[in-house]
Amino acid sequence: MAYLSFANADWKMLFAVFVIPAFGVITLIMLARALGFTTTAKFIAPADATREARNALLGFHPVETALSLDGGAALVRAEDGRIALVRPHGDRWVVRVVHHAKVRRIGTALDVQLAEAMFPPVRIELGAAASRWAAQLEKAA
Amino acid sequence: MQLSDPVQLAVPGFIALIIIEMIAVSRGARGAYDWRDSAASLSMGFGNSVTAIIFGTTIVAIAQALWQHRLFDIPVAWWSLALAFIGEDFFYYWFHRSAHRVRWFWASHIIHHSSQHYNLSTALRQTWTGFISLSFAFRLPLFLIGFPVKLVLFCAGLNLIYQFWIHTEVVRRLPWGLEYILNTASHHRVHHGTNPRYLDRNYGGVFIIFDRWFGTFEPERGDEPARYGIIKNLATFNPFWTAIHEWVGIARDVATATNWHARWMFLFGPPGWSPDGSRDTADVIRATWEAEQQQPVA
Repeated sequence: MAYLSFANADWKMLFAVFVIPAFGVITLIMLARALGFTTTAKFIAPADATREARNALLGFHPVETALSLDGGAALVRAEDGRIALVRPHGDRWVVRVVHHAKVRRIGTALDVQLAEAMFPPVRIELGAAASRWAAQLEKAA
Repeated sequence: MQLSDPVQLAVPGFIALIIIEMIAVSRGARGAYDWRDSAASLSMGFGNSVTAIIFGTTIVAIAQALWQHRLFDIPVAWWSLALAFIGEDFFYYWFHRSAHRVRWFWASHIIHHSSQHYNLSTALRQTWTGFISLSFAFRLPLFLIGFPVKLVLFCAGLNLIYQFWIHTEVVRRLPWGLEYILNTASHHRVHHGTNPRYLDRNYGGVFIIFDRWFGTFEPERGDEPARYGIIKNLATFNPFWTAIHEWVGIARDVATATNWHARWMFLFGPPGWSPDGSRDTADVIRATWEAEQQQPVA
């Protein structure tokens, strides 16, 4: 809502509309960093990833969960065969069903790239379970 | 009566309150911040004020044109201010309800819900495309009734300012029966929840009574904290993608639709509609959840 316009703009108005808010935005971002709101989400236990997938996806009943060794991502398989990818987004998580994804195995890690714009690729270090999950992902994709 | 833009006057207050909430949360008060999320929210708020100035002149011109055909001559006075405030909130309720139930309007409003956090910076996460979605059209009847344009816009500003403070987890519940009348932090936490129980509830701006009257009220439960965000949470903090992602989704869906019914529904059907039912609307999510609740525990 605004009933100001560029046509009747003056310096006082531009200061109020642009300079004060811009200064405020920068100040608040710097303060948030200074106060330590900088953490990135990490899983401690597989149950946490299972809960995230269950909450995010309708009718998703997890039967198996694999955490990345660093706790930074997870794969969750449901009883209907769907596989959910859980990746961090700041200090929260984002969940997607893996579908039409590019999966590349690099040693004991998997690189998963979903066919979704602005969804960054995810590397999941799975150790000995990597080949089995790679096969399941190929099947699901 | 002199009426200026209350939102511009309130900006320093917004900044001060966010600082207070951030410090409180860092010292253990209920709530959470993530600097990346807040940066995205604040960028969206800044962009919103820029687009409001760009399109504001056109909106005022449309409002003035309609006011020329008004039913009544309503002066700017305290009583008309009170009536306009209530009337504006009534039309806000219907705008907000439509913004959740019609994908064209949702494409603009989804921005406000796209944070997984719920704090005062979330309040400033506002759309850049409100003009395209025609959200201003919902308050046009007020001009036809005869409320002066500057009075309605002043009330819309007050409404927006009121809604700032309710975006917090620090405040739990208000005393003295205010929870029955007003939209509060508790009611609005429900509105931002993606829990099936909370989906598409509590559309009110200042007053919650419209939700109570029209059957969309849901109280916050102590045993079920809201999970904030949208059904398919964004995986980026990029403000430009945040601003347009649902519009891109609509364009892709319409481009690949095979008939006119599907095209219409992709534009004006409920968010989550798809021809084959492969996606889920809020109603489907709620119905599935309710069915699961009724199943006996194995």
